[in-house]
Amino acid sequence: MEDKIINAEAESGLVTFYYDNRIVWNFALATIIWGAVGMLVGLIIAIQLFYPALNLGIPYTTFSRLRPLHTNAVIFAFVGNCIFMGVYYSLQRLCRARMFSDLLSKLHFWGWQIIIVSAAITFPLGITTGKEYAELEWPIDIAIAIVWIIFGINFFGTIAKRREKHLYVAIWFYIASWITVTVLHVFNSIELPVSFLKSYPVYAGVQDALVQWWYGHNAVAFFLTTPFLGLMYYFLPKAAERPVYSYKLSIIHFWSLIFLYIWAGPHHLLYSTLPDWAQTLGMIFSIMLIAPSWGGMINGLLTLRGAWDKVRESPILKFMVVAVTAYGMATLEGPALSIKSVNALSHFTNWTVAHVHIGALGWNGFLTFGILYWLVPRLFRTELYSKKLANAHFWIGFIGIVIYAVPMYWAGIAEGLMWKQFTPDGILQYPNFLETVTQIIPMYIIRAVGGTLFLTGVIIMLYNLFKTVKKGSLVSNEQAQAPAIMESHIETTRPHRWLESKPLWFGLVALLAILVGGLVEIIPMYVIKTNVPTISSVKPYTPLELEGRDVYIAEGCYTCHSQLVRPFRSETARYGEYSKSGEYVYDHPFQWGSKRIGPDLHREGGKYPNSWHYNHLVNPPAISPGTIMPPFPWLAKDKIDIDFTSSKIKAMISLGVPYSTMLLNKTKQEYLYQANSIVADLTDAGIKADPESKIIALIGYLQRLGTDIKGKTTAQK
Amino acid sequence: MAKEKDILLKHNYDGIHEYDNPLPGWWLILFILTVVWGILYLMYYQVIGAGMTPVQEYQAEMKEAGKTVKAASLVFSKEELSPNTDAKLLAAGKKVFTEKCSACHGSMGEGGIGPNLTDDYWIHGGTMENILTTISNGVPEKGMLSWKTLLKKEEILDVAYYIYSLHGTNPPNMKKPQGELFQRN
Repeated sequence: MEDKIINAEAESGLVTFYYDNRIVWNFALATIIWGAVGMLVGLIIAIQLFYPALNLGIPYTTFSRLRPLHTNAVIFAFVGNCIFMGVYYSLQRLCRARMFSDLLSKLHFWGWQIIIVSAAITFPLGITTGKEYAELEWPIDIAIAIVWIIFGINFFGTIAKRREKHLYVAIWFYIASWITVTVLHVFNSIELPVSFLKSYPVYAGVQDALVQWWYGHNAVAFFLTTPFLGLMYYFLPKAAERPVYSYKLSIIHFWSLIFLYIWAGPHHLLYSTLPDWAQTLGMIFSIMLIAPSWGGMINGLLTLRGAWDKVRESPILKFMVVAVTAYGMATLEGPALSIKSVNALSHFTNWTVAHVHIGALGWNGFLTFGILYWLVPRLFRTELYSKKLANAHFWIGFIGIVIYAVPMYWAGIAEGLMWKQFTPDGILQYPNFLETVTQIIPMYIIRAVGGTLFLTGVIIMLYNLFKTVKKGSLVSNEQAQAPAIMESHIETTRPHRWLESKPLWFGLVALLAILVGGLVEIIPMYVIKTNVPTISSVKPYTPLELEGRDVYIAEGCYTCHSQLVRPFRSETARYGEYSKSGEYVYDHPFQWGSKRIGPDLHREGGKYPNSWHYNHLVNPPAISPGTIMPPFPWLAKDKIDIDFTSSKIKAMISLGVPYSTMLLNKTKQEYLYQANSIVADLTDAGIKADPESKIIALIGYLQRLGTDIKGKTTAQK
Repeated sequence: MAKEKDILLKHNYDGIHEYDNPLPGWWLILFILTVVWGILYLMYYQVIGAGMTPVQEYQAEMKEAGKTVKAASLVFSKEELSPNTDAKLLAAGKKVFTEKCSACHGSMGEGGIGPNLTDDYWIHGGTMENILTTISNGVPEKGMLSWKTLLKKEEILDVAYYIYSLHGTNPPNMKKPQGELFQRN
């Protein structure tokens, strides 16, 4: 048998090799399972927004701890595994080579799944860095870096041993994605460990905010977008059996997209204390992104020219068409939301939630489903079990997206307007923030219906794919043939063609393209002092407040409360003086948040008595009838490890926070002194509390918030 | 329609081909316009400095608001300052009290986080004028909010009449007296 093949090869000049399909199937399975889990967690927290008791009264299932689990599961587990599935399938075929190393493939797969499991364990336990979409603690950050490098070696190794001279556009997108995610992850995760599962980022306040949103925005760009554009460029023409519309458009939109995307991060920080020039850059680069983004959409949609009859027939193409259209909608809406005057209304509202779910459910979700329906039958050399069920999935999912998005848009605009509404007398129409919450609860309910439909579709897919797999058998190693020597017809008139045959140069140019924007925005924030004006009255947190801050982070308070009063009359009337960057200089990490499910807390200090906070934290509805804030009774029982507090102070000192080293010897003393004064005040109000309990630390922190500049609003220098 | 004119490149990646179509004209124009707009915007706001910064916008907004809103409209007439027992006003005051005050002062004014409002003892005085002042300006150091920007003038009056009417109602679970004994005339 083998002799025959060798003979045949010798005659035809072809080599025979095998594609690794098992690794593709493993990632496919992980995509399906984690997708269902991530969406289920999303549904659970969506329901908690109108029925808080669904957390069953325990910390581990409370909204503020599960929300990071939902976002991380959907982004890194569902979409992440789908990227790997698609890359491992398409890369082998586009390079006409088996993956570089089976061992690295396995390490990559299992490493990634272990990281996901560790996220699913640590988030409910309240182990988090408190930086959105980068919440995983430092040991897991290191594990991510290692697994990502393993993937990189396997990926570039495969490219190195390819039998196809030129790299197809899908691979350009994969290369740019890998390089950028590496840069983003490393620089955003620079943190100082204080214990095995606790660290502080080296950046503070407005600088931390800029790095974090440079990361956060480009995680959307280079994890949710560019890898998926790569997948689109492979699977869409494959499924449609049509040539890609325009090679030129691929080139132009690829390079402009990766160059421009990096700059747009500050559009998450409009009207914040970020310097104006950085906000302006964030806004204009967002607008310039419209065309490069749409380049991907039109290249996808125009590829289907002359194949629209197929779209009517094929659920796979239907999923892909909606996905690409959702991508186009989301990438037009994103720039629109980056326009300052629109952002002034939309930011912190559910509008953002609607926007990201057009991307997540429509673009990422539907493209993933389309690919799965196309891919799984091929891996198992069989037909899809039921086209009817796939069609049902399509329509249920599609209606689910609509029923999800419409009420969230409605809620977002309604909230934004209510927060800003003044009466003719010049007072806020809705001075009580709670009124603006209770008004949109019906929208939360309808949204959960939409989410339920979307998840139902996924369960139908699960069944359909399960039945498909049962029908066939996995072709673990798929035989393929290719000429032993790469063809080399270089079109000399096209310089880009040359670059496509030089992966190293290609990677270097891509690296340069993505570095420019980040460097131009981030470096001046550190080098030029005037970008963060200091305020002399702002002092570091006391030991008690620092521990209280860590409770705030661990409980995930930032998932519902912002700490950023924007310079609008409607906000200063509601909350007090607008925030200054000098107030945040000791905030490792910053806690500005991105969503106001509840009110802003930056000027919370001194607003209410200690007893108000105690009763409100233990049982919010007793103080604010109708509130959707979950109770946090465990804070009154759980204790702070006060012996460890001095280690945290020490870490802060090494990060440059000006504590006196004297404090290290009397940390516990100072801690208890302040805690006891709060306890004494609570005793006067008839409340018995333990000075070492977490709730006392949290109250201490909340009462400090935003008070350093009180009475001296012009103390900025 | 234009399919026949499309030129297929010789590229073949796992069976995927590419057309040599030009960039769509409208797309190119859109791209150029957004870049030009971006440059102009940058010049206007950051280079020439003609556009307002967020803080300047805020200052302008506050100035504008100061013009249209009568500043310090919270001046009460002598008539308003005398207690009123009109059932309608008291009912309106009770509504405000339940929504805004009861969380701290108890649903019947018996006190809780804040002091008892039904007994003879007052921390900041028990005349109508005292009560109105406390509601309007708040007691920030104790956590009592200043309500003059949060409630309409009529609402402040109504709730003050209501609070004044609570004296001697002896609700259950009264908080122990705070402040000084105050005799009503």
